[in-house]
Amino acid sequence: MAIDAAHPVPPAYPRSAGWDQIPPHVPKELVFSSGLTTGPEFLANPHDFMANMHDRYPPIFYDVSEHINAWQFLKHEDALFALRHWEYFSNEGATPFPRDPNDYFYFIPIEIDPPEHRKYRNIVDPLFSPRGVLKLENLIRQRSRDLLDEFADKGECEFTTAFGRPLPVSVFLDIMGLPQDMRDTFVEWAVNLLHARDRETMGRAMANIVAYIKQAIAEKKAHPDEGVISRIAHAAPDGQPLSDKEIFGFVIFLFIGGLDTVFATLNNIWLWLARNPERVEEIIARPDDIDNIVEELLRRWSVTFSGRVVAQDIEMRGVKLKKGDRITCVLPACNFDADVFPDPLEVNFDRPRKTILAFTVGVHSCMGAHLARLELKIALQEWLKRIPRFSVKPGAEIEYRPGGVVGPEAVPLIW
Amino acid sequence: MPTVTYVEADGARHVIDVPVDENVMHGAQYNNVPGILGECGGGCSCATCRCYIDEAWAAKVGGPASDAERDLLIGADGELKPNARLSCQIAMTPELDGLVVHMPEHQF
Repeated sequence: MAIDAAHPVPPAYPRSAGWDQIPPHVPKELVFSSGLTTGPEFLANPHDFMANMHDRYPPIFYDVSEHINAWQFLKHEDALFALRHWEYFSNEGATPFPRDPNDYFYFIPIEIDPPEHRKYRNIVDPLFSPRGVLKLENLIRQRSRDLLDEFADKGECEFTTAFGRPLPVSVFLDIMGLPQDMRDTFVEWAVNLLHARDRETMGRAMANIVAYIKQAIAEKKAHPDEGVISRIAHAAPDGQPLSDKEIFGFVIFLFIGGLDTVFATLNNIWLWLARNPERVEEIIARPDDIDNIVEELLRRWSVTFSGRVVAQDIEMRGVKLKKGDRITCVLPACNFDADVFPDPLEVNFDRPRKTILAFTVGVHSCMGAHLARLELKIALQEWLKRIPRFSVKPGAEIEYRPGGVVGPEAVPLIW
Repeated sequence: MPTVTYVEADGARHVIDVPVDENVMHGAQYNNVPGILGECGGGCSCATCRCYIDEAWAAKVGGPASDAERDLLIGADGELKPNARLSCQIAMTPELDGLVVHMPEHQF
């Protein structure tokens, strides 16, 4: 049934969790409890864990956890199929982010299936196209330099707070048309919303974000500008202005979807760089290959997962998937599929170009992918110009917290 | 404004105005022409905006613009067909006014 985005309702699909909620059609031999995103083995070294999943589990298996039970897809080929066939694998109700059922909204466009989906993407795609984001290049470069000025001479920093977090937040504020003096507040909200250990802190952060965004939308409605919030607030696809719920769901999705992923990506990559000085030298020695370098780093250090709800029964690899089942494409594992990327853990800047799954594929392919690529490219260029040799601070413990966006908690560096 | 004619695998033709500098993929996408998906948004990274340049235009448009485009076309077709291109990598110019591109039956 086509979704009515102006009148959102909470999804009807049930969520099952735990050992007593395994549907009868799931064969026993396909049921595991892998500890993906939560178990000690995962948290000790998440990317190696996800690479090893190919040896330890069937390519499609049913994963039981106390949070959610879902089929896990490990093969590159299967993820491409699922992500490209929305008629079997729907996004409606697939985003497990808690919302007030009495004031429900959809995350737009991710929770909207075709054909309505394209209407929203057409509003913002020109801004986020490779050419669109190039207009931001100088700005991102300047934001990177400003941050580096704050600590480059000190000989050390905690990467995630000094650079990994503030850079994407700064860029986000610029794109949205929001003031830079909100940077530290936004950083705090984002950290509390996505990483707090208690629900009260998360709830408070969400309430602050909601209030701020609603006020920002009202202001942009009254005073249009070039920013993305204004563009969405004034959009009228086919002459029909978006409703307040649509505008809100769109803007808040960009906030939640865009910040943590770039942050985690940078943190993973900088940790790897700090541990592999000879690869840093290689990157510095190959400035013309920066686009290939960025692509390979995104493959090796993908940070997230992509969930869908089965919309009609389908069989894959002999496994019967039933309507209402949840599936998760384990994107980092798919990017470690040796059938597609031989010697998958090796960082190799000379691989033939293939579709990587860092940003998913299909109609819901990440709209910020080109922005993320550009941010990563500029961050590498500017950082390595100022700090070409650096390492992890001796004695530093690298820790990961449970969650759907994978990256080290803190990365203390010295140079 | 220059036009591009998009020909579907079943022969259906769509004549679309595409501004100079805009790419041939967006010309289809923003005007709801079926047959060109452009999943990655024009990043030369997914090969779902594949098209085959009409013989009369092949020389003017030229071959793949980069190794990445070549790799992706080979990955999608199993070989490098002489007139295959990713439409996101073709920017419109006044000289390409009237360009005719043929779309595959399936992008994947």
